[in-house]
Amino acid sequence: MKILVAVKQVASLDEDFEMRVDKKDVEEDFLLYDLNEWDDFSLEEAMKIKESSDTEIEVVVVSVGPVRVDESLRKCLAKGADRAIRVWDETIEGSDSIVIGRILAAVAKKEVPDMVFAGVQSSDQAYSSTGISTAAYLDWPHAAVVADLQYKPGSSSAVIRRELEGGMLQEVEINCPAVLTIQLGINKPRYASLRGIKQAAAKPIEEISLADIGLSPADVGAGSSMSRVRRMYIPAKSRAQMIEGTIVEQVAKLIQIINEFKGA
Amino acid sequence: MRVKKTAYTLVDKAISSGDVYNTAAVYGISDGRRRKLLENMVFSKRRELLRLASWAHTPTEVLQMLSDSDDSFVMLRLCKNPKTPSEALTKLYVKSFKGSSKGVNLTTHIAKHQHTLTNLLAIIIHVNEGLEILRAISQNPSANGQLLMELLSYSPQDEKYKVFDKSVASNPSASAEALKVIYDRGDAYTQAAVIAHANCPVLLLSLAESDSDVFVQRKLVCKCVKLDVLANLAENKDTAVRCGVASNELTPQSLIKKLMDDSSFEVRRRLAKRCDLQVADIERLMNDEDSWVRLWIARNKITPLRVLKVLSYDTCHEVRRAVASNPRCPVVLLEALAKDNNAWVRSAVAYQNKSPMRLLVDLAKESNIDVLSGVANNRHTPQSILQELALSSESDIRRGVILNRNARRTTLMPLLEDPYYLHRLMLVDNPMLNADDKLQLCEDPDFNVRFAAYSWFAGLEKSTKTWV
Repeated sequence: MKILVAVKQVASLDEDFEMRVDKKDVEEDFLLYDLNEWDDFSLEEAMKIKESSDTEIEVVVVSVGPVRVDESLRKCLAKGADRAIRVWDETIEGSDSIVIGRILAAVAKKEVPDMVFAGVQSSDQAYSSTGISTAAYLDWPHAAVVADLQYKPGSSSAVIRRELEGGMLQEVEINCPAVLTIQLGINKPRYASLRGIKQAAAKPIEEISLADIGLSPADVGAGSSMSRVRRMYIPAKSRAQMIEGTIVEQVAKLIQIINEFKGA
Repeated sequence: MRVKKTAYTLVDKAISSGDVYNTAAVYGISDGRRRKLLENMVFSKRRELLRLASWAHTPTEVLQMLSDSDDSFVMLRLCKNPKTPSEALTKLYVKSFKGSSKGVNLTTHIAKHQHTLTNLLAIIIHVNEGLEILRAISQNPSANGQLLMELLSYSPQDEKYKVFDKSVASNPSASAEALKVIYDRGDAYTQAAVIAHANCPVLLLSLAESDSDVFVQRKLVCKCVKLDVLANLAENKDTAVRCGVASNELTPQSLIKKLMDDSSFEVRRRLAKRCDLQVADIERLMNDEDSWVRLWIARNKITPLRVLKVLSYDTCHEVRRAVASNPRCPVVLLEALAKDNNAWVRSAVAYQNKSPMRLLVDLAKESNIDVLSGVANNRHTPQSILQELALSSESDIRRGVILNRNARRTTLMPLLEDPYYLHRLMLVDNPMLNADDKLQLCEDPDFNVRFAAYSWFAGLEKSTKTWV
């Protein structure tokens, strides 16, 4: 039995930053990289299944990205993932989330997992579509925003609870294998033990090319994507206004604004 | 004393690690060729340079060294970093003045910075690059009374400078003279800020006594005012003003008695916190309908034991918890509260310094995280129990052991391998562990821990020249 967990190394911004010359992204020196928060939860969900099962379960993490992504994959290995795969080719640069889904699906076809987990979204791009497009390319059932999972390894179905608006949960039975996008809070992700970190440093990360998964440069990149970034910019400030005055004055003005909005 | 090394060995170790945070930690104890090497390492990667310039823990001497950078974004981050020293800020201002900051505005941030020298602020005022920069100075506590007076002199010349009055009124460096000027021409909000100011002259407080504005009265009531003024303010319609009377240390017993009947629970809560309450007042407030009034009585250090005993049966568990947390709570009450059906109450018993060992041994048999965290924190907990708790799967409980000043070296040793990086970081300064034990933290996977460990060894090096 095998669970494939798709993870992403996400970028966050550190206060002031410079844009790239092509104005399509932020200059890389200003970005801080870390494992996507949602992916911590999907990995933990896979680990929970692995640790509570009588049968042997392999947890494989996969990511699409350059060498720097190894750091995030090692974090997953330190938390107990059995193997880590990184897919990269220069031609992948500029791919949208649908193309990334195609790449992940190709990895899944090669690995033949019983389940695929992904995070609901990535904190940097927030498309919320990578997991779903992976399912589409695999032609597997999928469920998004999974807040609870009851799954016995080897079963032909799983029962999940999906998070809806207004605090509602939707209980769904889903056929397996399936692709699930996991929501924050479904579990309590562990910290990697020091021993785990040391062991992960020695574990190999499998680097695979497009050819290894039956894809060609023509299948990926901006040219094969259905959407392309035209530019990235900070919009001009409009309605925001600083409340001036002494602290007491600021509080009084704030109360006045709140009352006006309430119609009091 | 297995570990005994010199500063050079520590610096060499940091250099060979290739980690920019390790090098930042030992920069202060390096010199000559080694210092140059460290500087080259820091300046070799822009990404690291940018991070160190804004990092809250970057040592002052490293920030000073970074001010040599000609990268305008590094300069900007240094101007915004609250730790950047005066000398570096002066250098950055000169560079900015010469146009080295490539259009990035540094002056507003330098004008705001609390380490900017008063002389430099004076220069910035005279260069006068615009309202925002001058306003930043008017808010800066480093600006002395003379500079603030100068800014106030702009106001009569131009309406736009009136904003300085409000910021100077809240600036701790404002002199009594400046406050007088502002009060005389200020609106009610500005006058209220002046009255609240620590340097507010007595003359203005006297003037404010006859002020009917509620904002002024709210501030006035917190100051040392005459008893007749307090008596008047105790009749005020505004609850916040009456709360001020209830909190004022000068409020006489006669007024306290009067406020006991106040319709606002907020006023009664303030009274319940007072350290000069008479027994009869305490006994009255312990029956208050508001649970927070009872809670403050239960927490009050002057509350008599018989009142604490009554409150230990209170229907509100937060009140019972407050009794258990009270430093005067007797052991006999702690014993009873240790059997409370609410875990939050038992947790307070576990944290209580007066709880005897036998009580803690019993509480250690529980499974509740809050209770066990309290046991882990308590200095009377036996070492054998602390050793068990150090292996708990709950990080809050393990943290309790780390925070326990009586936790011995052997108890703490397994926690050097704790999965939570913050726990390992907390152990860097623990006096129960020796340098030998802490050496492994220099190799920690987390850069925060490594930096703290290297900083600890560097500090030791500065003070003793050897690691012992």
